Amino acid sequence: MTGMNRRFVLGAISVMALSISAGLAQSAEIRVLNWQGYGSDEAWAVEAFAAKTGNTVVHDYFTSEQEMLTKLRTNPGAYDVVLINSAFTGQAKAEGLIAKIDTSDMPNVKDLAPNMGQNADLAPGGEVYGVAWTWGVTSVTINKDMVKPAPDSLAVLWDAQYAGKVSIRDDGVEAVQIAALATGQSINDIKDMEAVKGKLKALMPQVKAFWSSESDWNQFFAAGDFVVSTFWSGGAGRSASKGLPVQFVVPKEGALGWLDGLSIPATSKNPEAARAFINYMIDPEFYVKWAASGAPSSANNKAAAALPDTDFNKVTLGDPAVVARVQFMQPLSDETRKAYLELWQDIKTAQ
Amino acid sequence: MMRTSLLIGRSYVGLVLFFLYAPILVMALMSFNASEFYALPIRFTLGWYEKLSGNQEILRSAWRSLWTAMAVTAIATLLGTAAAIALFRYEFPGKTVLQAMLFPPIAIPWLIVGTAMLIFFFWVGIGRGTPAVILGHVALALPYVIVVVTARLKTFDRQLEEAARSLGASAWQVTRLVTLPWISSGVVAGALFAFAVSFDQFVVSYFLAEPGDATLPVMIYTAIRKGFTPEINAISTIIIAISMAVMLLASRHFKFGGQR
Amino acid sequence: MAGAGQSQVLRAGALLAPAYVWLTVAIFLPLSAMLFFSFLSAAPFTNADWHLTADNYTAFFARSLYPYLLGRSLLLAAVVTCLCVLIGYPCAYVLAKQIKGRSREALFLLIILPFWSNSLVRIFSWAIVLRGNGILDHALKALLPFDVSVNLMFSYTAVVIGLVHSYLPYVILTSYLALEAIDDSLIEAARVMGAPMRTILARIILPLSLPGLASGAVLIFVPVAGSFMEPRILGGRSGTFYGTVIEDQFVAVFNWPLGAALSFILLAVVLVILGIAAPLQRRAQ
Repeated sequence: MTGMNRRFVLGAISVMALSISAGLAQSAEIRVLNWQGYGSDEAWAVEAFAAKTGNTVVHDYFTSEQEMLTKLRTNPGAYDVVLINSAFTGQAKAEGLIAKIDTSDMPNVKDLAPNMGQNADLAPGGEVYGVAWTWGVTSVTINKDMVKPAPDSLAVLWDAQYAGKVSIRDDGVEAVQIAALATGQSINDIKDMEAVKGKLKALMPQVKAFWSSESDWNQFFAAGDFVVSTFWSGGAGRSASKGLPVQFVVPKEGALGWLDGLSIPATSKNPEAARAFINYMIDPEFYVKWAASGAPSSANNKAAAALPDTDFNKVTLGDPAVVARVQFMQPLSDETRKAYLELWQDIKTAQ
Repeated sequence: MMRTSLLIGRSYVGLVLFFLYAPILVMALMSFNASEFYALPIRFTLGWYEKLSGNQEILRSAWRSLWTAMAVTAIATLLGTAAAIALFRYEFPGKTVLQAMLFPPIAIPWLIVGTAMLIFFFWVGIGRGTPAVILGHVALALPYVIVVVTARLKTFDRQLEEAARSLGASAWQVTRLVTLPWISSGVVAGALFAFAVSFDQFVVSYFLAEPGDATLPVMIYTAIRKGFTPEINAISTIIIAISMAVMLLASRHFKFGGQR
Repeated sequence: MAGAGQSQVLRAGALLAPAYVWLTVAIFLPLSAMLFFSFLSAAPFTNADWHLTADNYTAFFARSLYPYLLGRSLLLAAVVTCLCVLIGYPCAYVLAKQIKGRSREALFLLIILPFWSNSLVRIFSWAIVLRGNGILDHALKALLPFDVSVNLMFSYTAVVIGLVHSYLPYVILTSYLALEAIDDSLIEAARVMGAPMRTILARIILPLSLPGLASGAVLIFVPVAGSFMEPRILGGRSGTFYGTVIEDQFVAVFNWPLGAALSFILLAVVLVILGIAAPLQRRAQ
């Protein structure tokens, strides 16, 4: 063996040894359970995170909150990060599915808006079980070319002018809560169910179709099947960024607010890498880039402040007076969900 | 007179084929439409194909779906044909029960069957992963193979088998030389359905595939919540076009349409 | 003689075992777990206390919505099955009896090929065709001299069209398999003896091909009764069916016991219908 060769071999071995030890020290695969197309699986974000920390990110998806919980229950050890809506965080915690998160090594957490970061559902008693990530509003979205002037009241859904041009999501809880708003009630403490029922019954003749996903919504909207519909603020932002003539309205009666948090399953094998990923997810740098293609509002004050003035969320939800009208959805018991579902099924079938 | 009825017959088959292919044509058209939301009129673009070529996740999932469906088709066709022959040839107690048992997987919505598999596999420790996915897909495809092959077997003249056996042929020889050639069109039809069942199967793959190992249907169904793009149409169009080419080639070289 | 019977059972067992063991592990045992759940007061896994109960089955009768929707779904399944048979059987006949040679093989394959695509993509494609100002609307406006406008989207009709499309190949191929097996000389002989086409069809072709036709019909009727995706997307306001209500129990709420009970009631009803239909079919033959 010549000197040249020996040096090469030794060099190669030391490089290999280095890379192996580096791999042992930090490189991990973290598995994220989320909606598909909801920020964390943006190819550029996964790449940037890998470049920053050496951790690779793999995704698994769910299509409903119930199935998200089912996947957590039946796959211990499979996930490191999971997106849980604040209305479900308490249930996941009670079932022992998610762990308390030590936020001391997550520098971005201190920038979270206090009412989000310390939200009682995500951080009961100050113990963080879900790191506030994004929030948004479910409200009325109109076709601004067809509905003029822009309405300031939920009554537009019931406006005879738009009969057969209205849509609402095929979801019992959402339908009941929208009707609660329209009848001037608190969405989390509905006293007069008869009024809600009457209001929903009156809505049915207006409705052209129910939507259940953003794909439906966008296609139906683009084809002109409806001009007034409920929608998510994040979805409306995405539709607007893709050129649809949508306008998101937070009417005087208020709107439904929701808050999504990122949690770490109790059985996670890489909680450290999971915390690093969550910290990256609430980083202003990540958020601003994501928001350019349509995202819900960030729970991070600094991230929200870093948005350009033309940003959809800044324009529609930037005014504190608007946000003050939003009623945030609180957890519901299984019984309440069942009751709302049955009411909704009855109304849909009886029409 | 004869010629008119032939003409009518052929036009009718043409009409039915047009109906069957209408949404496929629309799907292909929309893969060339610039509007992400399928808005009309169509503005031509190749952009979705370009985007698709850079979308590793969809390409990998399509590839995974393809070979899963092929493995499932092979296993389900083999096991299903064997079972159909046994159900046809032999009389034994409990046969009706076995035949009735083919219906639960077809009648109970796949969402429930899939959920049931998920918890059962979790309890007994099969867990998730490719073996679990194939286990589930084959089970869902089997009833279709058995029912379709049985439909063909019912036209089979048992006396042929008896004649062959009286001439000294073994059971396997009878199967290979007499029964199988007769039912080959049924077996091919069963295999085609098995492939379709697996290739479009969402729930089982959704619950049982490892994170990162999603199949194409899983990518599509989980994407609708936040909206999918016509890249989905592009990949589906490519798959249909390739399958059509393969099938037309196969139809020139193999005979399975039945006796003539 | 007893020995021959025994070896028959053994042979049958050897051929049946692989398929049925597979089905047992992957379907029957999991479904037994579901059957067990259907008798529980709450799904296991959570902290909720559960006990054995028949409430989920009595719930079916306690709420008029469930029987009503089951009837609605069975009617839908019957309509779709009939349409598939009416459209598919003549097509299978032409394929089996009029078209000879290589093109038959090609057509045989082409009939199933559309189903090697994603069902959701197909449903969205139907939406593009059926809606007002959609492809069908444009095509009719271009072809017909008088003014028409068609909007079939979000209706019962749209659901039926989507489902007929999804299930048509089953009845075409199974009918074809049976029709193709009928000996042409049998039909020829009847014709030579002066039997009118109607009689040949009723006395020879239909009875001999009935097993294939029936298998196809079963493969359509059974799954359509529990379908939920086509109704939800294409049906609009009239899209609530038994299948969608079952789906709700798994997706909108965590109520597996009720969802499972509703599914098993559907299965039982379907099996009873098939049980009644089977002897009728045998007599018709």
